[in-house]
Formats: sequence, C-alpha cells, structure tokens
Amino acid sequence: MSAEELAREDPLLRVLEGTGAVEEEPLRNPVRQLHIPLAELATATHSLIEAGGHFSGIFRSEADDSLRALLALRGELVVLRAPLDGARSYPALSRVTRAALLPERELHDVNGIVPLDHPRLEPVLRPNADELQRVVTGPETFVIPYGPIRSGVFEAIQFPIDTGGEDILAFTVRPYFKRRNLEARFSGLDFDQGAYLAERVAGTESVAEALAFAQAVEAPRLAQRWRVVHAELERIANHLDVGIKLAEDAALSVGVARFGVLKEQVMRLRARLCGSRFGRGVVVPGGIREKPLLQPAEVIEAIDAFEEDFRCDRSLLLATTSLTDRLVGSGRLDAETVIRYGGVGPIARACSLGIDARLERPYGAYGRLGFRIARATDGDAMARFEVRLEELDQSLHLIRQALERMNVETAAMRNGVGDASGEGCGWAEAPNGEVIYWLALEGGRVQEAQIVSPSLRNWPLLSESYRGDVLTDVSFIEHSFGLTPAGADR
Amino acid sequence: MLKWLLRGLRHGVVTTRYPARAEPAPPSFRGRVSVLDALNAPENLADLCPTDAIQVKDALVSLDRGRCILCGACVANAPDRFAFEATYETAARRRSALVVGQEAVAALEEALPTLGDRSRTLRRSVHIRHVDAGSDGAEEWEIQALTNPYYDMQRLGLFFTPAPRHADVLLVTGGVTHSMREPLLRTYQVMPEPKAVVAVGTDACSGGFSASMGEVAGGVDQVLPVDVYVPGSPPAPIAILHGLLLAAGIVTREAAA
Repeated sequence: MSAEELAREDPLLRVLEGTGAVEEEPLRNPVRQLHIPLAELATATHSLIEAGGHFSGIFRSEADDSLRALLALRGELVVLRAPLDGARSYPALSRVTRAALLPERELHDVNGIVPLDHPRLEPVLRPNADELQRVVTGPETFVIPYGPIRSGVFEAIQFPIDTGGEDILAFTVRPYFKRRNLEARFSGLDFDQGAYLAERVAGTESVAEALAFAQAVEAPRLAQRWRVVHAELERIANHLDVGIKLAEDAALSVGVARFGVLKEQVMRLRARLCGSRFGRGVVVPGGIREKPLLQPAEVIEAIDAFEEDFRCDRSLLLATTSLTDRLVGSGRLDAETVIRYGGVGPIARACSLGIDARLERPYGAYGRLGFRIARATDGDAMARFEVRLEELDQSLHLIRQALERMNVETAAMRNGVGDASGEGCGWAEAPNGEVIYWLALEGGRVQEAQIVSPSLRNWPLLSESYRGDVLTDVSFIEHSFGLTPAGADR
Repeated sequence: MLKWLLRGLRHGVVTTRYPARAEPAPPSFRGRVSVLDALNAPENLADLCPTDAIQVKDALVSLDRGRCILCGACVANAPDRFAFEATYETAARRRSALVVGQEAVAALEEALPTLGDRSRTLRRSVHIRHVDAGSDGAEEWEIQALTNPYYDMQRLGLFFTPAPRHADVLLVTGGVTHSMREPLLRTYQVMPEPKAVVAVGTDACSGGFSASMGEVAGGVDQVLPVDVYVPGSPPAPIAILHGLLLAAGIVTREAAA
C-alpha cells in the first residue's frame, strides 16, 4: 500500500485530510502524535471536533518550540504538534472551540504568543481582586465581588456577580489567584520527586495527579489494583465533601455532621492504609511505594461498615426536601453547552454524556474491573449530586473487586523505571474529571511538564450554568460543581 | 427532621478529648520527620530533599520541618539517619524551633506573646478567620474537618467567623501568591488587636515546592508576623488544633524536637 492509501485506511488521518497532517513517532505510552503546519492547527482541531473529538488543552513546549494541542477522539488521545519556527502568532483555536479560551490566554501570558482573533486576550494569570469588569451595565445593576476571600473555609477564587439585587444577570469566574507556577517547577526533578510535586498541584485529588504523572513516565507497572483502591478512596472522599458542603448550604446541621463523620472515616482509613490522609507518597512511577499497611480483608471490612452508614445517611439526605428543593432545577446545563466548552467529570455525566477516562481510555486495572458509568439526564445541581452519589457506590464496588483474591505476601509493588527519555502522556479520571500530564523526559529526569486540569476545563461552565438563578442559589450551584481552584491555578 | 435527630443520636459520641487527653496518631502515620543521626554526613545527603529542607554543614545534618513536605525520600534512601514519627503535635511558636538535627540552632528568637497573655478573655472564646493564600486545597479540607464531630473545635471555644473585624486569629494557608498578597494584608489590617497569625501547612511556613518559583512570597512570615507555625503537607486536623490552642495560650506544650 502507498502512503496515500494508508492514510485513507486510517480514520484519524482521514478526518485530518487536507490539513497537511503527517504521522510522527508515537509517544512513550503509546499516544499518537501528528505534525500539523501552524497555519492549519485550528482547521485540524476543528475537523477533529466535528468528528466527535474532545479538546483537552494547548500549550507550548520549550524544547522544540512547538505548540501542542491535545484532543481525545474515539478512545484515543492524539497530540497535534505544530512547530512555531520562531513565529509568535497563530490562528486561535478559540475560534473553533470555547474549550481553548482559557488555555490560550495562559499561553499568551506565559509565552507572549498571540492566538490571532482570540475574542478576549487580556492578561489572566495575576488577577487583581479590585479590578472588576462589569458584564452588565444599566441602571440599578451592580457587581458583587464575591471572593477571593469568602465566607467560610474555602480556597481562593473570585466570582464577580452582576446583579440587580436578586437575580443573577451574569456570573464570572476568575481563577488564578493561587497560581504557583508549578508546571515550571517540574524541570530537573527526578521521577519520584515529580510524583511528589504532582500530588501537591491539587491536594484534594493527589492520587489522581500522581497517577497521571506516573503513567506518563512508566512503561510496565505493578500494584495496579492497589492504585485503584487509593484512587477510588480519593473519589469517595471528594464526593462526600460535596455532600457536606451542600448540606451546610441548606443549614442541615445533622446532615453536615453525618457526612463529616463519613468523610473522616474515609480519611482515617486512608491514613491507616498508607500513613497519609490524602494517599500521598503512594503512587510512584513503576507501581506503589511499599506494601500497604492493611490487609485486603481489613480494607473490605472497613468499606462494609462504611457502606451501611452511608446508605442510611444518603437516603435520609435525599428525602430531605429543604435540600433537594434547592438543588432541583438550579444551575442547569445542557449537553451541547458542556460539549462546546469541553467539560469533563461528574458535570458532563450529569448531562447524560458518557465522558470518563476510566472507560474511554482504560488505564491500570480499570480495563479488567467492571463498573457502570454514573449518569443523569437533567444537568442541574441535583443531577450532579446524584451522579456523585452513584459514583460513590461504584467506587465501593471497584474497591471490593480490586481487593478480592489479592495476594499481598508475594506480590512485588514496584518496577524500576530507569533513566527514561522521550515524551509521554498520562491521564487519570480525578474526582472532578480527567487530568492529563504531558511530560518531556531526559535521562531519568523531567525536562518539561504540562498539566491539563479538570478544574480549568470546567470553570467556564460554572458561568454558563446560571440561567435565571438568584443570589441564594450561588453556593448550591458552586458546590454542586465541587471543583478545586488549586487544580486550575497550578 | 426527627429522623435526622435520631440518626445523629444513634451513633453516640465520637469526639476526641484532645487536648485534655492525648490523641495518638495511627502507628505508621507520617506526622513529621526526625533526624536519628546528625553526625558525619556526606555533602550530597542534602540532594535527597526536593524542597531543600535538609542542610549539611561541617558534616552535620539539620532538617527544617517548615520546608519538609513529608515525601519520605530521605527516610527511604537514608533510613539510618531519618525516620517518620507518628505524631500530631507538630506546631511551634518560633520558626527556628522547626529546625532539628544539628546541635540546637539555639533559640535566640523570642516567640510572640500568646493571645491569652495579651487578653485573658481570649482563653475562653477565640474567633478564627481563614484565608487561602495559595494552598493546594488539602489544608482547607483539614481545617474544615475541625468542625466535624470527631474534632468539634467549638467545644474548646474556637469558632470560625466570616468577618475579619470579629476575628482574633488569622489562619493562613499557602505560600502567599502574587494575587493573594494584598487581600491577605487587608484582612490582617482590619482585624482588631490583639490578634494572632497561624501559618498552616508547609507551604504557609516556607513556600514548600513553590518557594523557588517567584510567584509566591515563600511563606506567610515574609508578609505578616506569624505567631504559630503548623508544618505538614497537609497537617492533620489535630495538628492544626494544636497550633490554634498554642496561639490562644490555651495549651503551652510545643512540639518537642
């Protein structure tokens, strides 16, 4: 077969016909990489999205002065590499997908590269809390600067809310108050240190961050099932945290206390299992650090006790109308909007979209374990909460499967990674959606790292979800999203 | 509502008695790192640490817990020199007290007087305002956990308040990013005297991993006078409680080296 015939056979190359796409060496994992002329990058992205692709991120890598766009298409992650060759501008991807709006502003801030025709290219990375822009102007309207310091123990982020006093006329999300420039911090770290840093990019999803990092580095890996246990415990803790916050918003003191107890039980189980309440230091490239401190049977026993309590509290919470009334119909999103903005995680699944990296591109042991993707159809705050509760059930189910018939005494926990070089991509379904690490490695150290964060991918959807809602709905809707600002402000 | 009440009652009391009774950490809990052997250390021992917490000077080792992220790289690679300690009480009133190992970096530094020293009434009721100045999000979980039934900090007269003007203690997480510096300072300025600042987490103590990146000030004490340091990545709820009680002057027992 000639090269042209080959291209016609390959669905990916067929979609990209006419954009000058040329297949390059795949990444380490293997992830396919295509070379695209810079001028055609937007066209190629558009073609992939038209074919059902999901835009994940765009960034510049220093080593070869190229732009790289990541897209997921039919169970495959694809890297489009467009060399800049000294060019300082290119046709903006934001013209073809709104998912590129924030990543392209970051690109502009950090590298000074101009995405041409980007609708809004002001600096974004060092927000000033006092400089508020009004979206709605008119008599008797004003803007409430909600944040970056808010009532309660919350992470720093600002939500300027345009209002006439009651109705929300516009809801703006201003992230990056806590940007720590951690992506650049990866350069020069060895692989273990890289995993420790990844855990601290977004602390509430430490395990998922470390998993995505490790999977971008490693080739053969061990202790896959234990990794599932840690990742699912993290998911459970996150979903319970959303339950606490929503109960608090509805002033349900006993609900807050009960969900607080459940979450604390999970955090303590995690501490007993690995010495850290956040599962830190467990996932390292090649496997896990050491033999878990509990036997599989002990974990299952703890899970069983937890589940009994959880079922009881869940049914009580869902039967409490002072909570559910506030959730039903609030912050409604439709599937089309979620797709347009490239949303991921429980937010997308609450709009009946089957987006879940554990199933789309199974990693680790997930391909061998059975679970159902939790979905709801209404797209409102209630649907998002229901998806989380259902996922919590599935997580318990996954943990039991992973631990069944596991032989702990003989199993090795870790493979050597050696001094790997080259580029790799790793992903994991964090509690709030897929996190992706793109890494350039050189002689056993990280040269460059780029992170696609689920928080960043979902923030624009928070603005979109306020349709006809009032000020008292704000906390319910925000907490139903359950996003951690630290993930986006990396 | 009645169902909730019964549900709440059925489980009995789970609350810790801390600080009246000690709260032991699980045996393998990674509370802090200790130096077992500080002598005759090779220069390259410091390279084990990704956040420069380990220093070697004249073949003597010192470890700065305010920089330590508890990753365990040193414990794994030099088990004869470093070990994890399963303890919760890690807070200290002086930054220098967090440095251990090499013969005492003798504490010339004076600790600030506690709230209790400055106003007797503050031993009974302390109001706390939290500000996130660039954490990774985990510290917020652990601070919030203090209100759950296991810790129930209200029983000790500790309360969160949304209003900085009602606050006695400023609880700060994160190494203070560019954008959070001004909001943090403003919060501190409007708090009435006497007031105390508690830095929660290794990032708040020193900047942690982000210290060298230019985007963060490198610890709360670069911006504000800090009364109590609670190292840890993140510190456990009891560790934070220990820090709060130290700041208020309710307990005086600091982390022992």
